[in-house]
Amino acid sequence: MSITREPSTEVTGLAAGSGVPVVRRPRKDRLVWLYVVPVSAVFLFVFIGPLIYTAWTALHETTYYEIGEFSGLNSFVELFSDPSLPAQIGITLMFSVGALVIALPAGLLSAIVLNGLHRFKRTVRSLFLLTWLMSQATAGTIWLWFLNPNFGPATAITTSLGFGPTDVFSSPTTALIAVTLITAWWSYPQAMLLFLGALQTVPEELYESLKVDGGGIWRSFFNITLPYLRNTIVSVVIVLLMLYVQMVTIILVTTRGGPLGATETLSMSVYNQTFVEFDLSGASATALLLFAINIVLTLVAIRFRRKETL
Amino acid sequence: MINKRWGFAATAAVAAGILLVGCSGSSTPSESEATSDEPVTLTYWDFLDPSQDNPRAKALKDNIAGFEAANPNISVELAVVSLGDMLSRLPQAAAAGQAPDVFKMFTPTVPQMAAAGAYSPLPSAASEIDDWLRPADNLVGPDGAQVAVPYEYRTCAFYYNEKILAEIGASVPTTYDEVVEVAGKAAAAGYAGFGTGFSDTDNSAVISTFFDCFMSQVDQEIWNEDGEADFATKKGEEFGNFLADLRDVGGLPTSVVSDSYGTVSDGLLNGTVAMSVLGTERIVTYATQNPDLKWAPLPLASTGDETGTTIGWTMGIGAGSKHVDAAWKFIEYMTGAEAGTNLATGGEVPTRASTYEEAFFSTPEADTVNSIAEYVESNSEPHGYSDNWIGLATGLSHAGQELFLNGLSGSEFIKSAQDAANQ
Repeated sequence: MSITREPSTEVTGLAAGSGVPVVRRPRKDRLVWLYVVPVSAVFLFVFIGPLIYTAWTALHETTYYEIGEFSGLNSFVELFSDPSLPAQIGITLMFSVGALVIALPAGLLSAIVLNGLHRFKRTVRSLFLLTWLMSQATAGTIWLWFLNPNFGPATAITTSLGFGPTDVFSSPTTALIAVTLITAWWSYPQAMLLFLGALQTVPEELYESLKVDGGGIWRSFFNITLPYLRNTIVSVVIVLLMLYVQMVTIILVTTRGGPLGATETLSMSVYNQTFVEFDLSGASATALLLFAINIVLTLVAIRFRRKETL
Repeated sequence: MINKRWGFAATAAVAAGILLVGCSGSSTPSESEATSDEPVTLTYWDFLDPSQDNPRAKALKDNIAGFEAANPNISVELAVVSLGDMLSRLPQAAAAGQAPDVFKMFTPTVPQMAAAGAYSPLPSAASEIDDWLRPADNLVGPDGAQVAVPYEYRTCAFYYNEKILAEIGASVPTTYDEVVEVAGKAAAAGYAGFGTGFSDTDNSAVISTFFDCFMSQVDQEIWNEDGEADFATKKGEEFGNFLADLRDVGGLPTSVVSDSYGTVSDGLLNGTVAMSVLGTERIVTYATQNPDLKWAPLPLASTGDETGTTIGWTMGIGAGSKHVDAAWKFIEYMTGAEAGTNLATGGEVPTRASTYEEAFFSTPEADTVNSIAEYVESNSEPHGYSDNWIGLATGLSHAGQELFLNGLSGSEFIKSAQDAANQ
């Protein structure tokens, strides 16, 4: 048997002239700064610093990667007067929500299947994870090759079936659908992994009790599994949304935002502004808008989380 | 208590140290120019991967080894960087003082990279070389000073699949009007009539190079004296009209919007594309990989001219290089007779007259490269470029996408490309 003692508060003296005892925090509490200071320093260095630098860049003229004169809110005025901005926001939302709608159920279903497996669990889990283990660039290149209308295997299949070549990246609609599906395909194992961890915490007795009460698969799913996974679902939604809103590589490799800007999400626009147009100031303004959208999406998702877990 | 205070102090010092190290500019161990006897390591960016199994990659590998053997105190650290990555990374690297000592760059983008501050000026020794086959006065920075030297020459050539043309009963077209006609017939037979690409995933390589050559053919300047794109003229429209006519007869592949240099080239090799205009650098590869593929001078434009533009890869010294002398030694070697001969075995055209005095160029093995060199010399002329080639190339791709998907006319296409270049 072990006894733990709550840290007691030390009263070390009286505040000058007030008569109120000065309360010094216990040593254990003050030791926490040893951990807080380095973490804060790193946080400042890798997050706050770049954020301030981005805002600073957005407020200045730039020539290639050199920061020039102060230009006030010019880059924001240009950003919000750009006629393609609403379309880019729309494409970002369609792409992100579209990929989420596919990856979330796919991840959950895969996790449930894996959780129910009793043999070859590790092998099957490794197979399911394969797509996520490859880099985004590799995933994009593989699909670009597979769907190539001239020599891709998909074209060979569809042509032999009489449908003609797979020309998905040549039309605005199909290109957006294709990059959304490729992104969902690449990312769903991430959701699966998080769901699998959560599923393993659901007490088996609950399922057994329901079974005794005559409950079937659907009832156990809706009455036990889903309520237990609620917070994990919110977490997965946040993680995936962040991933999709910031996705560049797969789009860059497959369409680079085209055709006709049909797959140019805000992230892709930041990339194009930075590396194609060399407009660092404009790219910084767009990046800040993207950051704001990320915050809004996260806050909306968090509202669905149970209060007690916050 | 004393220990704890020391703990706080140490933590604060470490944190401050991290911040200071992160915020400080990088410095190299040796800030001074290396003397000729000191060992030097040159960083070199090239798009070719010497580990690949092809003649150009092998020539690069041999040339670097040859240079290191001839200069035991200089070693070359090669980084394989694609052109697309190079265009985005060089200005960043230069701004951060991390540019490579030497890098390759495509002719049209040299002025833009110079404007982005990626180059160091060439040393005075560079002006002593006077046997370039073509004037190098278009490889200049904003101040008009030369920043790069030609490493390899190329121009545009007309490629066609002899077998497909025979199958559809067509002879080799000699004008762009005939190309449209034959492309329509090839498309009716199930082939991609004329392979080109409006994708900008590879910096719009196919369409921009073709445009560059076509503008030379119709004697249309691309930029005016102020450096603004100014090609939406009657002559410039001819290019747009050619593309629009191809579209109207079904001569463009349905995948043209997403096609790039790689897919067009693969289509030619696979025998699914009947004709195309690409660079002469592919002649040797195509001849060995698909005997049905032949090449000819560019079809005649309305001016009756078949002279394209001389382009190619160049070499220059990176901004802030600490080893300018060693870097120039390397460039001099790579553009010299020994390395040029190696280069020629890979089908590339060396750039200096002295290289062609080597014994190799009198052998039958050199017949192909000699014929390409003669073609480049007789059928192309270099011209100057503004510092916005990337914007122009991207504008051409987007205008091409609009032409194919939204039915733009030839004149609308050329206007759209010009507007994009001037944005």
